[in-house]
Amino acid sequence: MSIASLYVDRQVADLPETRRICSRLGMPAAYVENAEQLYADLAAAEDPVGSGKKRLFLTRNKGAFLKECPGTRHYTCCGYRILHIGSYCIMDCSYCILQAYFHPPLLQYYVNHEELFRELERCFGARGIQRIGTGEFTDSLIWEPWTELSRTLAMRFARQDRAVLELKTKTANIDGLLDLAHRQKTILAWSLNTERVIHSEERGTASLGARLRAAARSAEAGFPVAFHFDPVLIYEGGEAEYRQVVDRLFDAVAAERIVWISLGAFRFMPDLKAVIRKRFPGSTIIYGEFIAGLDGKARYFKPLRMQALRSLAQAIRRRSPTTCVYLCMEDDEVWRHALDVTPAERGGLARMLDEAAVKHCGLQAEAGGR
Amino acid sequence: MASDDGRLEERPRVVRLRQIDPANDSFRITTRHRDERLELSLERIGLLTPPLVVSAADGLAIVSGFRRVEACRRLGWETIPARVLSEHTPAYACALRAVAENALARPLNLIETSRALTLLEQHAPGGRLPPGDAAALGLPAHAGLAAKLKPLCRMPPEVQEAVLEETVSFAMAGELGGMPAAAAAAFARLFRRLKTSLNKQREIVTLVVEIAAREGIDPCAVLGDPALAGIQGGEELDRNEQTRRIRRRLRQRRFPALLAAEEAFQALRRRLKLGDNLQLSPPRDFEGARFTLSLSFENLEELRSLRDKLDELAGHPDLHRLLTGKGTGFAGAPEP
Ligand code: SF4
Repeated sequence: MSIASLYVDRQVADLPETRRICSRLGMPAAYVENAEQLYADLAAAEDPVGSGKKRLFLTRNKGAFLKECPGTRHYTCCGYRILHIGSYCIMDCSYCILQAYFHPPLLQYYVNHEELFRELERCFGARGIQRIGTGEFTDSLIWEPWTELSRTLAMRFARQDRAVLELKTKTANIDGLLDLAHRQKTILAWSLNTERVIHSEERGTASLGARLRAAARSAEAGFPVAFHFDPVLIYEGGEAEYRQVVDRLFDAVAAERIVWISLGAFRFMPDLKAVIRKRFPGSTIIYGEFIAGLDGKARYFKPLRMQALRSLAQAIRRRSPTTCVYLCMEDDEVWRHALDVTPAERGGLARMLDEAAVKHCGLQAEAGGR
Repeated sequence: MASDDGRLEERPRVVRLRQIDPANDSFRITTRHRDERLELSLERIGLLTPPLVVSAADGLAIVSGFRRVEACRRLGWETIPARVLSEHTPAYACALRAVAENALARPLNLIETSRALTLLEQHAPGGRLPPGDAAALGLPAHAGLAAKLKPLCRMPPEVQEAVLEETVSFAMAGELGGMPAAAAAAFARLFRRLKTSLNKQREIVTLVVEIAAREGIDPCAVLGDPALAGIQGGEELDRNEQTRRIRRRLRQRRFPALLAAEEAFQALRRRLKLGDNLQLSPPRDFEGARFTLSLSFENLEELRSLRDKLDELAGHPDLHRLLTGKGTGFAGAPEP
């Protein structure tokens, strides 16, 4: 999917990042005095969710760049911090929560990088290990063709030893990063799924083969890499297909390079169901056996996801018994069934991940931290 | 009326029934059918209000008085008095008269209201019904409501019948309106038989539609499940029991693992022989991790006996299976 319209917040028109992006895009920009009007126009479009993917708005992040991951008390959260570089995505996955998260969803990119880097500096000065990612409200690497933010961030992270940056993607846009002296402080991470799911549910994303090739090249360039099986979908024959993906993953990338692998069964806010039904009428993913989770999200019936996650975890363990595998937003009961351990038995999920980051990224663990 | 120029020429005439085209329903608003009392009244008292007809290319078309004309025909009359509009009468003017003569004589039901709105809009200048005309005829002027009402009269006859007999609400009819006609008709037939509440209808529709979407089949094929037909054919079952079984059967197909786990859980729980004073409930949909055990007692003696029962339960292998068997959906539980 490509950008059809470019909008620039009048207040950031003269920032260097704005100028760079405008010139790289090489398309006329509409200058916006009042963002509300832009949102209203988008909301009035026939398919606001789809249209928002083609309208890029360069603006200022008026809030904090660093945010805590929005976990809930019922399910174990990983204690990740989100670096809010922009929002939404040019790819189009049926299950993407961002379709129902922003009202209306619009591709926004924040260009006030001075403030971003000031906040990061403060964060680097804090005690304890920090795991920071840009791939929560957007895909980390869709911006590569027009910006150099990931590259700049990776270089900045390379100059310190307390925080690690995770760039999470479904693209293969890594060419601009491979030559960096990253000092292992940037983890390149891919969301993985089965060929069938990628084909039917992940429009505009890189193929599984392309993602794995990109991961292999990144690992060869010395980057720590990570993988996220999220969302895991439950369907007939799915377990075998996920096992094949695991095999292809370990055939492509040496296990020692992998910092962690997360597993997350498909879950969604109830509002997303109508969006998927409308925008992806051929998709059947919402017709699984879902119940209302304790956090209000629709989740697969617990025994089903326990089984699916266990099968996937076992496939990973068979190929690499020591790789850090964790579950995304699950409770102890699911952890025990899928992984034979609870986070508490390992000192908590945040600690598990911190230790993996220390081991693979050469972070300096510091007493009195987290 | 604003859009009626008031110069409609309406001539009283005696017309031959043969001249009136019985198949021309263009201006029909009424949903009412044959009423023998009307025939009786015509026979004894005569035709008090002559029908309104309009001259058409090949005879006369009824504007108002469909039931009266039908009744006269059944009585074998050859001629009737009628009020005749000239063939130059604009169609919109005829439509206004057709609606007015019905709406001002009695409250219109939902289907009639839908027909009235559709008819007027079809002939209104520019295809837009002037709000003043709608208000003067007592029709809903609110655009949103009118938009929901209009499709009703184009729905399959089964749905319209169900709306008229109030076994399908206006809200449910709206949902059925978004479906292919065959599926909407099949639901309407089912709901007319079951006469069940809107909530249960909604549950049934959702289950059927989602099963169909998941399995890539037509909702009619889901409703045609022989097991469902068997439940409806069960003479000994009253409507409530049929509804309960149909919902259960559909839930079983939509949520096979959840229903199987529920049944396995219940079978294990029965084997614990908890008695009347102990209740063991699983977490809702087995999602949380906490089970609930509630005790009820009247005196110390009962409490002591419950305590003994609890001691016994704590070592019961089936309780252990209940607490630890979630990962396999309590597989291996005894047959329910
Ligand atoms: S790649 Fe990620 S952010 Fe982009 S549409 Fe898919 S799920 Fe959403």
